[in-house]
Amino acid sequence: MVNATYVGSNDDFAPKLMAGGGVYDLITPSIDTTKLMIDLDFVEPLDTAKIVNWAKIYPKFLALDGIQKDGAYYGMPYVWGAIAFMYRDDAFATPPSSIADLWNPDLAGKVSLWDDKSSIYVAARLNGDMDIYNLSDEQIAAAQAKLVEQKPLIRKYWATAGELVDLYKAGEVVISNTWAGYQSALLAAEGIKVTEFIPTEGAEGWMDSWMVVKGTPNAECAYKFLNMQLSELGQCGVANINGYSVTNPEAAKNCMSPDEFTALHQDDPAYLDSLMAWQPLGERFEAYTNAWNAVKAQ
Amino acid sequence: MSAIIELEHISKHYSPTIIGVDDVTLAVEDGEFVTLLGPSGCGKSTLLRMIGGFEEPTHGTIRLADKDVTFEPPYRREVNMVFQDYALFPHMTVGENVGYGLKVQGLGRAEIETRVHEALKLVGLFDKLKLRPQQLSGGQRQRIALARAIVRRPKVLLLDEPLSALDAKLREQMQIELKHLHEKVGITFIMVTHDQTEALVMSDRVVVMEKGRIAQEGRPQDLYDHPASPYVANFIGTTNFLPGQIARVEGTTAEIALGGGRLSALLDAPMAAGTRVTVGCRPEKLRLMAEGESAANVLEGRIAEVIYYGLGLRIAVELSDGARVHVDSLLPDRLARSAVPPVGLPVRVAVEPHNVFVFAGDVAP
Amino acid sequence: MSLIRRNLSGVLVLGIPILWIGLFMLLPYGIIVTYSFWVKKYPTFAPAFQLGNYLTLFSDPQYLRVMGRTLKISVLVSLASAALAYPFAYWLVFRCRSAKLRTWLYMAVIAPLWVSYLLRAYVWKTILGTEGVLNSFLQWAGVISEPSSIFLYNQFAMVLTLTYIFIPFMVMPIYTALEKIPVNLTEAAADLGMNPWRAFWTVTLPLSTPGLAAGFTLTFCLSFGDFIAPFLVGGPDGNLMANVIATQFGAALNWPLGSALAIVMLVVVLTIVSLSDRMERKGMTGGV
Repeated sequence: MVNATYVGSNDDFAPKLMAGGGVYDLITPSIDTTKLMIDLDFVEPLDTAKIVNWAKIYPKFLALDGIQKDGAYYGMPYVWGAIAFMYRDDAFATPPSSIADLWNPDLAGKVSLWDDKSSIYVAARLNGDMDIYNLSDEQIAAAQAKLVEQKPLIRKYWATAGELVDLYKAGEVVISNTWAGYQSALLAAEGIKVTEFIPTEGAEGWMDSWMVVKGTPNAECAYKFLNMQLSELGQCGVANINGYSVTNPEAAKNCMSPDEFTALHQDDPAYLDSLMAWQPLGERFEAYTNAWNAVKAQ
Repeated sequence: MSAIIELEHISKHYSPTIIGVDDVTLAVEDGEFVTLLGPSGCGKSTLLRMIGGFEEPTHGTIRLADKDVTFEPPYRREVNMVFQDYALFPHMTVGENVGYGLKVQGLGRAEIETRVHEALKLVGLFDKLKLRPQQLSGGQRQRIALARAIVRRPKVLLLDEPLSALDAKLREQMQIELKHLHEKVGITFIMVTHDQTEALVMSDRVVVMEKGRIAQEGRPQDLYDHPASPYVANFIGTTNFLPGQIARVEGTTAEIALGGGRLSALLDAPMAAGTRVTVGCRPEKLRLMAEGESAANVLEGRIAEVIYYGLGLRIAVELSDGARVHVDSLLPDRLARSAVPPVGLPVRVAVEPHNVFVFAGDVAP
Repeated sequence: MSLIRRNLSGVLVLGIPILWIGLFMLLPYGIIVTYSFWVKKYPTFAPAFQLGNYLTLFSDPQYLRVMGRTLKISVLVSLASAALAYPFAYWLVFRCRSAKLRTWLYMAVIAPLWVSYLLRAYVWKTILGTEGVLNSFLQWAGVISEPSSIFLYNQFAMVLTLTYIFIPFMVMPIYTALEKIPVNLTEAAADLGMNPWRAFWTVTLPLSTPGLAAGFTLTFCLSFGDFIAPFLVGGPDGNLMANVIATQFGAALNWPLGSALAIVMLVVVLTIVSLSDRMERKGMTGGV
């Protein structure tokens, strides 16, 4: 029996865990937050020998810095995707292809952006600063200015997946960023035609890992769950429900239709390489969030 | 003398069946002190509120100094009211309360101040100028309410049960004070009260009301000595009522047969022999007779009850037919208390013929 | 025996509330005050005693801007509530002849308090939205030809929604204050020559200021601490103090700064409350 608590954003893991210990056995933060969890000493090292399909995980993910420390693994890569962009088909004669389209004055009052530090990454890329996880103070300030400049065009910053879906449904918004695969599918189910796209400035990539909360009394059960998550059952489960890509390509191949397999870029290592995978910001985290808060305060 | 207030056929119907005031016509002379007297629900307050402009009559006309004001709002009438619970403004000082009604009269600040001070001196409360009404006693508030009303020099001052909230001692004192104030300022006073003593002590003229109508009006003494109906006789003063029948009439004197004896009386108006009547006589006009004494009218009975009330005794005498009459007897001497008659003692009661009221009909109130 | 029992009940009646207040209200204040002097230090924050957080609040324009915006929204909500609630309460108390109708209308104003705040705020989205009820109506009525987006996701929508939600807290104290004014005071004012308008300004309004002050305090404080309306109907310029505090305690993981913000907010609210308390007390000495 799994009791799930959902977080609104990766930034909510730390406050939730700080607020009270002993409530959670497992957490699934993204690759920009895993490091913080390790540094906060909230999670314990994984015994990878107990995870049957460990070796089948994309090597690219296992190589990421954020899930390991002192030679030990703390996170089990599980699911991944892009922070893509999305537009409403009926609102565009020429399909948008650039982040600059979210700064188009003709779309005033029809634009939405994720209420997250990710917006700094977006604006930095528009400014031509492509090393988005290592921005200097000046580059962050420039991104902040760019976002302030965009504010009059913004209808609303979206905070939850459901909110973005509602904004499209109510006809308030025609272009935004999105958790690729997820919200577009929900909108398609509502009969609203939207198209996802990767802008010429590139897209961020995210990858969620399962981490075991330190001191959990249910370790054995937790490993059973981890094994299930990496099996065909778990991998296709999340792929079918959330529309995300998974980290065990072998399992994916076995349980997905060929079309789905292709659509989720499971056979396309180049796509994965093109994404700018999130990185922990460490000490710079504050500078990014502060800039984003300043934009919202404007 | 000329009429300052003229009420012509004033009626107030709340609904076809609920009638507050019923066809009242009354003229009040300039400078007069008139009291509307009656029990609660008799329409006296409604009548006063219509003069003040707080209610509108359904029929009739109200004239103030020859001007029709029937439907004028209160703030356009040159009358002022002293409210039953004074209605002083709690957020203003005494001075501000009294000066409040002068602000609309286009007076200068200095003029207002002078008049406020004058009014407060008139009621003897100048030293309370800066206090709040809540810091004053009931009697003081009453005087502030008076000052606030007369400072505007209205043509008529209306007083709605002005003394009812005061205790008995203070009430007596204020009755005299109000009467003197009336004489001093020379403004017409119209007062509403349910207290007959108040009415008798203070007024030039009393209007007794009954069920929305005027039962009788006149000088206090006329009403007391010549009540037009058992209702008036009972409302003003106390009266013993006995049913009877006129046995014989000779000039203005009538002989009346009662259940417990016979009485002769002086008639105010002619009546025929055989008429069924109600006889009234006031307790203080009755007298216990001494042994061997004789009188024109004698009733025989025995003492049923003796009530001591300080000033004197009220003695209930049971007549031979079982009817009771009260006899008041003053005790001008402390030693006279030893003369209190024992219950059961046979006595004779005397009353002069001119002290007997005769009302047609046998319905006692 | 009875002495012991009396002591025991005394402990229960007074002790439990005092313990409750101490444990769940005063202690948290103390904790927040303490945190406000700490410093941010990766990965979380560290004990210290310094005023840096407070300095940040008053030097970084983003915080002053949000504070100013929050004050503005709260004052506008209070003013709008008062402007709507006062005439309504006045009408109920002095003009509505039917006691039954008065009770019904009063209940109608209070009743929405039983409905979830979130739901009531959410409803305004469907009314004010680009494809919402208001736009449909205006188009149907021919007032506009294209749906307008000016109603939702801005400060206007926030003021409107908060006014709608908090107006009962304005109606109740004003109604009570007006009801306490004896009718004969307004009659006396008229009797002393004041027309209804002047009588209102010199008698009714001053005597109802305690209710107005109480209503103002309630609506102001409730709006001042609100963070749902910005989230539901506010636009990109809708962030209020409470949202910023939530962000500092949440995403930004900067509890010290969040605590300093909370303390500043508390000071503002306490100032307003004591000001209005003084007004109420002043009205009270004028009360009946």
